[in-house]
Amino acid sequence: MIRKRENTDSWKAGFLAIAVHVLLLGGMLVSFNWKAAHPVLNITEVELWDKLPVVQPVILPQPKPKPEPIEQEKPKPIVEEKPKSEEPKGDIGLEKKKKELEQQEKTELEKLKLNKLEKQKKEAHTKKLAEEMREDALKDAKSAEKQAKLDSQKALDKLKQDMLNENTDTDIKAASAASANVIGEYTDRIRTKIRGNVNKTLCGDSNPELQFNIDLLPTGELSGPPKLVKSSGSAACDDAVERAIVTSQPLPLPSDPTIYAKFRNLNLKFKPNE
Amino acid sequence: MSVANDMSLLTLIAGASLPVQLVMVILLITSIFSWWYIFIKVATIKRAETESENFENKFWSGGDLNELYETVTVGRRKPQGMASIFEAGFKEFIRHKQQGKMEISDVMEGSRRAMRAAYNRELDDLDAHLPFLASVGSVSPYIGLFGTVWGIMNSFRGLSSVAQATLSQVAPGIAEALIATAIGLFAAIPAVIAYNRFASSVDRLSVRYESFMEEFTNILQRKS
Repeated sequence: MIRKRENTDSWKAGFLAIAVHVLLLGGMLVSFNWKAAHPVLNITEVELWDKLPVVQPVILPQPKPKPEPIEQEKPKPIVEEKPKSEEPKGDIGLEKKKKELEQQEKTELEKLKLNKLEKQKKEAHTKKLAEEMREDALKDAKSAEKQAKLDSQKALDKLKQDMLNENTDTDIKAASAASANVIGEYTDRIRTKIRGNVNKTLCGDSNPELQFNIDLLPTGELSGPPKLVKSSGSAACDDAVERAIVTSQPLPLPSDPTIYAKFRNLNLKFKPNE
Repeated sequence: MSVANDMSLLTLIAGASLPVQLVMVILLITSIFSWWYIFIKVATIKRAETESENFENKFWSGGDLNELYETVTVGRRKPQGMASIFEAGFKEFIRHKQQGKMEISDVMEGSRRAMRAAYNRELDDLDAHLPFLASVGSVSPYIGLFGTVWGIMNSFRGLSSVAQATLSQVAPGIAEALIATAIGLFAAIPAVIAYNRFASSVDRLSVRYESFMEEFTNILQRKS
């Protein structure tokens, strides 16, 4: 491999060759950012919600004073279309016709004027009527508003009193309601997360309903494969949903361990096309 | 989703499939060898150039040829480059002259043959390793490409078993496959550059040797 006369250089050359490779490797390691910083991490995930899961306290009845605009048949201004200007110009034989047309126009104008007058009269009348109605309605609305306010005030007071009176009772009720709320919220979240991963084309245009039984760990991961309780009728769709459940791990779970108990074994109804 | 893929070089190489790793190892070894030969050749060609330069200076300084022959052969190591050609030719010439009663043309022919043989030996040494560099330069990109194709094939085959194909599932496979091409190119580019450079310097040296041979033959003919 090496000639006799090259023996003197071979050690130096070998050292240099290895140095070149070490340099290149070092350069690659330094200049490249090999740790893939996923930009996904910086993106905040947003779940869109139709309704807030929070129970709204007493909803104040908000009377909307809307005076009914009484629709009277407005006389439509019968505006005749402008005389067509497509008359052949300079046609002597048609002068008579022109004259007739002019006459017609005149009469029509007169008619229009009359119409306008009538209309104005009518309008004035309707305006008056409407104003009267509006005033009435406003009065009514104001009184209704007052009444509503009073009612709501009363309801609030009542609620407060109730709260004060049955403090313990309401607390329990509220807690259970809250937990039910949280459960509903998180099942909805789980559903939306899974829905994002379902390949909807496999489920067709109809809206089949599936039911899966899933066992969850506190971390949100599945402790076993999801069990199909109710099939959608198409095996492809079932598989798609099952895969979606598996890929959407970890599923969102409440941090409260007492509520988590309800999620340990979850029956999940699911409509992929909802 | 937020599982950070470890894309460090070592994990990429370790995660590659066996053929790809094999390709990488082969390429790394060829790269190291080609660089080794490159450095050796740089040194030897440079030395041959300076030696022939020095010898030409000495030769044309107008000294006695016998003295020059003494200085060339006195060293322990064999004369190299132009000196070896001169030594072979002059030795042959002296031998023929000592034998006597020979035609001048035969003497010239003999010394010329001796010089030709020494020249061929020199050129063979100068040309050493150049074929290796040439084949590394032309073949190693293909080897790297083979590794890349293999790796990408593998990563796509793995993709087919996943329902939802995302780029992050293919990306590491392709990245590790592309490392093979990168190594192949890294081996090939310096080899090609070095081959071209060395080939041209060897050509220039051989032209120099040949012209020296012609001139030296003339001088010997004048002497005889």
